[in-house]
Amino acid sequence: MTHEALEESLPLYAAGALDRIERQALEAHLLSGCASCHNALKDYQSIAALLPLALSPTKPPHSLKSTIMAERNPVPIPAEAAPNEPARQSLEPGEWMNHLFPPVAPARSSSLPWALGLAALVIAAVAGYFAWNVSTQRSITSANIQHLEASIQEKSTKLAAVQREVGDQAKALAELRNELQQRTNDVTETKEQLTLRDAELEEARAQLSRQSGTHVPGTPQDELAALLRMPNAKTVSLTGSDLAKRAAGVLLYDSRTQKVWLYSVNLPECPAGTTYQLWAIRDKPISIGTFHLDTGETTHLLVKKVLNFTDARTFAVSLEPAGGRPQPTGPMYLLSRS
Amino acid sequence: MDKPSQHTTSMIDPSLLARVLKGDQQAFSQLYDHSSTLLFTLALRILGNREEAAELLQDVYWEVWRKVSRYDVGRGTPVAWLITLTKSRAIDRLRARASRGYQTTNSLEAGTAAEVADPGPSPFETQADQELRAAVEAAVAGLPQAQQQAIELAYYEGLSHAQIASRLNQPLGTVKTRIKLGMSRLRDSLQQWGNHGELQ
Repeated sequence: MTHEALEESLPLYAAGALDRIERQALEAHLLSGCASCHNALKDYQSIAALLPLALSPTKPPHSLKSTIMAERNPVPIPAEAAPNEPARQSLEPGEWMNHLFPPVAPARSSSLPWALGLAALVIAAVAGYFAWNVSTQRSITSANIQHLEASIQEKSTKLAAVQREVGDQAKALAELRNELQQRTNDVTETKEQLTLRDAELEEARAQLSRQSGTHVPGTPQDELAALLRMPNAKTVSLTGSDLAKRAAGVLLYDSRTQKVWLYSVNLPECPAGTTYQLWAIRDKPISIGTFHLDTGETTHLLVKKVLNFTDARTFAVSLEPAGGRPQPTGPMYLLSRS
Repeated sequence: MDKPSQHTTSMIDPSLLARVLKGDQQAFSQLYDHSSTLLFTLALRILGNREEAAELLQDVYWEVWRKVSRYDVGRGTPVAWLITLTKSRAIDRLRARASRGYQTTNSLEAGTAAEVADPGPSPFETQADQELRAAVEAAVAGLPQAQQQAIELAYYEGLSHAQIASRLNQPLGTVKTRIKLGMSRLRDSLQQWGNHGELQ
């Protein structure tokens, strides 16, 4: 690209309208140290960065800030867990029970009759047992609850840590996905460029072919194969005369390259001193070229360049003396159906 | 919540980013206050969906937090950097969505966005912001419709000139000329803002 073309692409670059190849070309130019382009681009980019200001402003959801800030403000786990430790220790089952039920001896009364005293003692013992039993159960249950709460607390902090880690991983994964997507886009773009270049190459070949009058693919067979695929090639079939009933031929004419291909099969071999000659017949026969079939040959491909015979409707192959003749003199072997 | 400071969105002080770089949470909070409405508006314009725009902003601020050291004051203002980062990530997301075959009607989504658009000035929008906004709106509105359309397709939808030509069924040269003329005209209209150094 010329400097002028690169300079002209600066506003497109700032607007984001260049494709990857153009972008890379311009970036390489900027890296080469072109100060004028660098300054001009800076101007355009500063304008491009202003464009969103022309949009009607829309506030983000209120919760977004707290979400974003929370991601950067991880709850300090150890600081939160530490104050619970002494409390947990103070709620050990042993301490709890000692506090509520200090060991006391049952009271004895010597002023009551022994039976009543015994009964009272039994009742007191039974009541004491039940009271102790219920209280013990309650204290054990409370202790268990405290244990569970502590355990939940611990698990919660671990879960929070794991969640943060998963969050980090998810973000890293998202970044990788974005990068992969970017690479995929690049590959797609490169493929498109490749297709474009292929088309340009094909076009260049065609131009070369037009200019030189020859086709780039090497062999006549290649050319014939290419010609058969072209919709504008003229095709004429020829059949054998009574002299060669098994013989046949296909003639193709490409007006673009002005070339004729005659593919013949099963023509008899040429007797010594003779040759086959192909004729295009308009008002009168015009010789296109001669070809020779040796012993053992059953097929032959004749390729000739011919100017201007689009008006010809009939084609024929005759056997002529060696070197051919200006007009047909010998017997016809192949003839097109007009 | 932080109190609104005297900084404008268009003139975020680079020293704020320097404080963010040192892990200053308050500076980060201020940066969010000054830039989030503009960046959310941009993300919403590109993606056409509030939830996705909010998700994108989370990613962008996360990236800002982690990669603030990459900001180079010599290459542009903080807000230009934030806009470029947001636009780039939003276009990536848009292309990823397109490659998954997800289709959305931008006009329909834009209608939804318009319903929740808040036309009132942000508490963080100063007189200077409002003047700049008015100047940019006038400059964009002053472009011929065809130039405005071509620039917006490139800028907000990430289309190349060839894709725009195909979309609008216009010759490639015409599309290139429209973008060039439009950008030059915007540059001429807004030169005074550029010269004042707000967004270099």
